[in-house]
Amino acid sequence: MSALAREGRVVTALGRRALSVQFRRAQLLMPTFVLPLMLLAVIASGTSAAEDLPGFPDVDSYLSFVLPGTIIQGALLAGLTSGIALASDIESGFFDRLLAAPVRRVSLVLGRLAGTLGLSVLQTAFFLLVALLFGARYPGGAVGLVGTLALAAVTAVGVGGIAAAIALRTGSLSLMQSIFPFIFVLLFTAPAFFPRELLDPVLADLAVYNPLTYVVEAARGLLAGAAELGSPLAGFGSALALAAATIALAVLALAERLRKA
Amino acid sequence: MPPLDAAAPAVEVRGLVREFKGVIRAVDGLDLELSAGEIYGFLGPNGAGKTTLVRILTTLLRPTSGYARVAGFDVVSEADRVRRSIGVALQEAAIDPLMTGRELLRMQGALHGLRGAEAKRRASGLLERVGLTDAADRRVGGYSGGMRRRLDLALALVHRPDVLFLDEPTTGLDPTSRAALWREVRALNDEGTTVFLTTQYLEEAEQLADRVGIIAAGRLEAEGTPDALKARVGEPRLIVTIDDPADAGDAREALATLGEIEAADPAAPCRLVLLTGGGKEAIPPAIRALDARSVAVELVEVESPTLDDVFAAVTGSRLEGASKPEATAA
Repeated sequence: MSALAREGRVVTALGRRALSVQFRRAQLLMPTFVLPLMLLAVIASGTSAAEDLPGFPDVDSYLSFVLPGTIIQGALLAGLTSGIALASDIESGFFDRLLAAPVRRVSLVLGRLAGTLGLSVLQTAFFLLVALLFGARYPGGAVGLVGTLALAAVTAVGVGGIAAAIALRTGSLSLMQSIFPFIFVLLFTAPAFFPRELLDPVLADLAVYNPLTYVVEAARGLLAGAAELGSPLAGFGSALALAAATIALAVLALAERLRKA
Repeated sequence: MPPLDAAAPAVEVRGLVREFKGVIRAVDGLDLELSAGEIYGFLGPNGAGKTTLVRILTTLLRPTSGYARVAGFDVVSEADRVRRSIGVALQEAAIDPLMTGRELLRMQGALHGLRGAEAKRRASGLLERVGLTDAADRRVGGYSGGMRRRLDLALALVHRPDVLFLDEPTTGLDPTSRAALWREVRALNDEGTTVFLTTQYLEEAEQLADRVGIIAAGRLEAEGTPDALKARVGEPRLIVTIDDPADAGDAREALATLGEIEAADPAAPCRLVLLTGGGKEAIPPAIRALDARSVAVELVEVESPTLDDVFAAVTGSRLEGASKPEATAA
């Protein structure tokens, strides 16, 4: 049996477990599936007049324009909740069970993030479907939809990596929960619900350094089938770089935790 | 997995020290050796260092100094090989209450390299073995304490380990659940599994362990078979209570043929104490001797030293909730 196939099975089993438990924990399901839709409803109905502002891009509908913001918000929350679930495993001692098993330590991190990836795909598909029912249209077609699913999933893994790193460094569930508001700072310093051109100059400057900026714009471009709204290449580049960096951080955090044990 | 070399120790610990924050010595220079196939009971109160030792032996903690080998492998430099050889049931059964018993077993199977169909078969077999088939597809959050411990034991057995570590496996369980778990541990040991068990229950150590180690403040204070340990602190005493204090003289003469008799207690003239090398074997000859002198006997009992007496003798304190001296009444 190849060692790689064995680790692959471990990652799959841990991912499946992470995903199924997520659906049994209402406190993790609410923020990932319900909260972003509530915010979408408020924004799409309350600030739709923004569409008439000079400089607002020519889009199919305001709902279609802000939906990528909701999708990325979902990805952020999916990533954060995976850190919360990991901290909960550490506090309860469940993580020790995993550590006592003959598996590569990196598989424990990847298994957790595999669950995050699965969650993000389901969540994004759900958002796309609900928005479709409320009138959003996806001129980007199947390529745009699949691209958006993939982009959101890689972003969720990237955020999940940071969350996992913090959980592994601190092992504290309450600290993980207190990080929640920072998710919104990340989101609102990216052009999630307004075009970059209409952001306050300070925010617009900040947005340049926020990797989510490129992810949101890429999702917008993919769904609208209009590359001028956002470059898919820049979006995937940002998301993949974020994921690679944060997975490395999480693996280092686990190694540090074990070194100190 | 090849069975352990019977000649090699299943667990070998030399000069093991574990400090926390550079000050607290939870494990303080332990030496220990377990033969393959034995049940070793590690007895001590809360905070004695039992769990710290188990966590080191199961690769979850690193020793500060000294070394430990399990199944022939070093717990630090060959941690992965140790993990392949051991089954671990940790204190406070670390199982996710949102998962079902079957899901947990299948996940544990995957962690130990079993493929889907194999993991599924193994899960079903183990669920049956620990009597959880009917509860297999219920979430563990709804299990009783005994069911959780049985599931935890099943989880530790998924990969048929050579050495099984059970950290206080029956703490908080009712007597029936405790007895069921003991039966299962004995059965596993009969199949050849070496068992390292920590406990704060004297009865558990006595019932299960081939050898007992007594730990206090991180040090191994005494070690041996339960009988050998008890023999160190004194021999069994035969306590005879007669009906009529007027027969006390006859009774003393009758019993004097069987062994040394302790000085009479004026406050209890009907009570005679005979020091006997044997245990309950001394009861029939004592009764026959008393009967020959027509001494009416109310009660004969054997009072043996207990592991708690041993514990008290070597540590100077008694285990919380320890039972009174054992008595075999006739």
